[in-house]
Amino acid sequence: MKIVVPVKQVAVLDEEFEVLEDRPGVDPDAIEWDLNEWDNFSVEEALQLREAAGDGEVVVVSVGDDEAEEGLQACLAKGADRGVRVWDEELDAADPLAVAQVLAAAVEQESPDLVLCGVQSSDGVYSATGIALAEHLGLPHVAVVKGLEYDGGGNTATVERELEGGLVEVLRIGLPALLTIQTGINEPRYATLRAIKQAKEKPLEVKGLGDLGLDGGAVEAAAGSRVRSMSHPDTGEGAEILKGSPSEVAARIAEIVKERMSG
Amino acid sequence: MARDPKYDILFEPIQLGPKTLKNRFYQVPHCIGAGSEKPGFQAYHRGIKAEGGWGALCTEYCSIHPESDDTMRVSARIWDDDDVRNLSVMCDRLHQFDALAGIELWYGGPHAPCMESRHNPRGPSQIPSDFEVNTHPRYMDKDDIQLVQQMYVDAAVRAREAGFDIIYVYGAHSYLPLQFLSPYYNKRTDEYGGSFENRARFWKECLEKVREAVGDDCAIASRFAVDTLYGPASIEVGEDGVRFVEHVDDLVDIWDLTVGDISEWGQNAGPSRFFEENHEKPYTGQVKEGRHTNKPVVGVGRITNPDTMVRIIQSGQFDIIGGARPSISDPFLPKKIEEGRPEDIRECIGCNQCISRWEIGGPPMICTQNATAGEEYRRGWHPEKFHPAANREKGVLVVGAGPAGMECAMVLGKRDMEAVHLVEADAEIGGCVNWISQLGHSDGNENIFRGTARGLGEWKRIVNYRQIQLDKLKNVDVHTGSRLSTQDVLEYGAEIVIIATGAHFATNGLNPATHDVIEGADASLDWQLTPDQVVKGEKSVGNRVLVLENEGYHMGVSIAQKLAGEGHDVRIITQRGDVATYMEYTLEAPMLHRDLHRLGVEIHPYTMLEKIEPGVCHAYNVWKPDHKEQFEVDSVVLCTQRLSNDELYHELRSDKEALEREGIEALYMIGDAAAPRMIPDSIFDGHRLAREIDSPNPAMPLPFIRERRLWGDVTNQDYESMLQNTPDVEPMVVAAK
Repeated sequence: MKIVVPVKQVAVLDEEFEVLEDRPGVDPDAIEWDLNEWDNFSVEEALQLREAAGDGEVVVVSVGDDEAEEGLQACLAKGADRGVRVWDEELDAADPLAVAQVLAAAVEQESPDLVLCGVQSSDGVYSATGIALAEHLGLPHVAVVKGLEYDGGGNTATVERELEGGLVEVLRIGLPALLTIQTGINEPRYATLRAIKQAKEKPLEVKGLGDLGLDGGAVEAAAGSRVRSMSHPDTGEGAEILKGSPSEVAARIAEIVKERMSG
Repeated sequence: MARDPKYDILFEPIQLGPKTLKNRFYQVPHCIGAGSEKPGFQAYHRGIKAEGGWGALCTEYCSIHPESDDTMRVSARIWDDDDVRNLSVMCDRLHQFDALAGIELWYGGPHAPCMESRHNPRGPSQIPSDFEVNTHPRYMDKDDIQLVQQMYVDAAVRAREAGFDIIYVYGAHSYLPLQFLSPYYNKRTDEYGGSFENRARFWKECLEKVREAVGDDCAIASRFAVDTLYGPASIEVGEDGVRFVEHVDDLVDIWDLTVGDISEWGQNAGPSRFFEENHEKPYTGQVKEGRHTNKPVVGVGRITNPDTMVRIIQSGQFDIIGGARPSISDPFLPKKIEEGRPEDIRECIGCNQCISRWEIGGPPMICTQNATAGEEYRRGWHPEKFHPAANREKGVLVVGAGPAGMECAMVLGKRDMEAVHLVEADAEIGGCVNWISQLGHSDGNENIFRGTARGLGEWKRIVNYRQIQLDKLKNVDVHTGSRLSTQDVLEYGAEIVIIATGAHFATNGLNPATHDVIEGADASLDWQLTPDQVVKGEKSVGNRVLVLENEGYHMGVSIAQKLAGEGHDVRIITQRGDVATYMEYTLEAPMLHRDLHRLGVEIHPYTMLEKIEPGVCHAYNVWKPDHKEQFEVDSVVLCTQRLSNDELYHELRSDKEALEREGIEALYMIGDAAAPRMIPDSIFDGHRLAREIDSPNPAMPLPFIRERRLWGDVTNQDYESMLQNTPDVEPMVVAAK
């Protein structure tokens, strides 16, 4: 069983940060890089499926610059077999649809049985890349999966999605397919020091757009949006900061609630 | 990052007579165990706080004459020029950081037992000390009054010579000047007793004489308990409290205000178990609120929160934020506010372990939160600076994230080890602190004196501080919910393995009183419990509960308080003369006993259990074992002793071939896993190992500088060469005197 897991190294912002003046973006000094939270769960799900199947391969793929290497290494340390990083300067401002186009080319080279994405990335929060990737690959897809059972030798999987009001929707999907995985579906493992060291020996291939038969024009054509500007929102009005001891604050809150309720 | 402008007010300078305090952070006098006889300890401990931004630092109480000798406890002394020489080192060190040095001139009256000097203290009236055992003062006639006042003057002149900027006439905690003021001590009928003016005369004259002698050069301070909490029998804030401030206001440059006396000074150094931050406000806050002074006021109350500090200043409660315990817990508290990182403040937890060492009488001060407290000179440890470890490329696995494990991993991270993994079996880090911090409550009602049993919630700061630091350290990975087997540890890939797996309570009654198990004791039964089982609520507890308290610290009584507060009928038996004897040292005992009494908890001292049967415990008197007693019970709590969780360590250690095969070069054990102990000692153990992880044999602590008198010709170098590790504290250059 071969599973491809696209992952993303996301920007984690300090409590206080400035946006850049010359182009849309955040001051890089205020950014730390970390593997996207959802991707811990998609990788874990892939590893568990491979372990249950007894053989197979988990390939992690990321579109990103040098910073993305660390995230792929973390996945390899947890047990992924191989990593692929795609990068080209043309991708610097790529939107989710453009990234999906690039991922599609990379995933096609792998011909997997299953593609597991995270539901969303914590920095962009578009929730678009996974579904767009399924579209490019022509694969059936299910989004926001919180339970997954592979039928073993067959080529279907039963998946659960959580809907509003705690409703659970159960679907059977034919493979190959693409699922976006929700946090909490499993308990992600961590890597031991030995596994971290050994991960450095695992294959991690770096590919350019050319290696995937793409160029900057194709990426631009695939894009659906571009970020025009980025700014801190204006401070709103109507907020009142309550000061004083806890009992004074509580008394004031009670007053406000009474005022509003009588109004 | 720059400091938040809302804290600017804390960094305004304040004029204290002829001296300028550079900001509003002031370390009030507190004991550390250094005195004048360990000048390196004294200078470096206060110096670290000056480096950390405190604007003024004081000595502990400093005896002015051999007839005020507090041995068996450690005070400073300024009896002669050699004391001047030793105390001047502290002044030099503070002045290097633009901080002011204060000295608290002390004459104890009947509270000075003079066990070293063999002198006899004088007092206003011949009533023995309520703090010491059987210590009577000699009655002071008017010649004696002149004599003792001259002792203050001579000491003040010597203090100026040593380089002190602030000179105290110390009265608070019921020492001689306050003894004259208080009718509880002063029964005189001459012009030094009776009316307020008469009772105030001694203190006023002392201030006049000291001011006359050194007031042009030094700021004159007085430390005053505005309320000794004895009601009309002594000083009450609304009466003689504010009256005295007004009476001598012209004679001081700064007021240092407290409450309580020495017999129960836990009302001043309030443990968090009973008192919240800024708990003295109802008393000391009245002085400025009622406009009774024109002088700057410093006050205390375990104030660690910068927002509380701002509120205190802005509301006009105090002008200056005093701190003793907060400055021990975090010597860099002011600097962390100034640098815009208040989340890094290592807040005092109010456990009073620091104070316990003074109360015990000799050992150097320790701090639960700050393992470097007291180690600045003798071990060269700095609370905020850590040189990179020489073996930083070694991968480290720390098993267990309790106090020792958290501290060890954090310090290894700060020492720049490349990869540290802290692995914890529970879902959260913190170990025993997570359940112990849920104790200390009873029924939430007011204690019969003041305050309530508010619990040990602030002890959770042990975990919070380390959690924040560990999150910031990119070279430390914390993994929770993962219990490692011997095989897991072997295969982990670490070159250094540190076992910090904690301890558990004995379930069979094994105890320090008989060194044996107790017949019938078995905490696997549903009606017998260990303390952690009580807190975790794993078993229901019956109405009639017997708590066997063999530990001597807070665990047994904490359980008793909790269960009595929940409505159970509780009795405690202990082999000692009292329960929780260590809580006398932490100043928690008086409030604890009030609470136990109020809750109707029955205490049986000098009692031990012979046998436990369903429904009945068989007890005996330890001095007369055939004097037996039976207690009908529904549940029994066994707080007898703890045992290390050391199986993992011993299994690993027993297979040296496997360790070698798997590349494990070193295996250590720290904290309760090695031997159960109090939390500050576990944290110290973890810190110590991490500080010395690159020493020739990290399992054995390196020697430290011992400031004892060496026979023959000696130089400072002879002491400093005792240090075998690289100090993180910058050594000072001391000119020979």
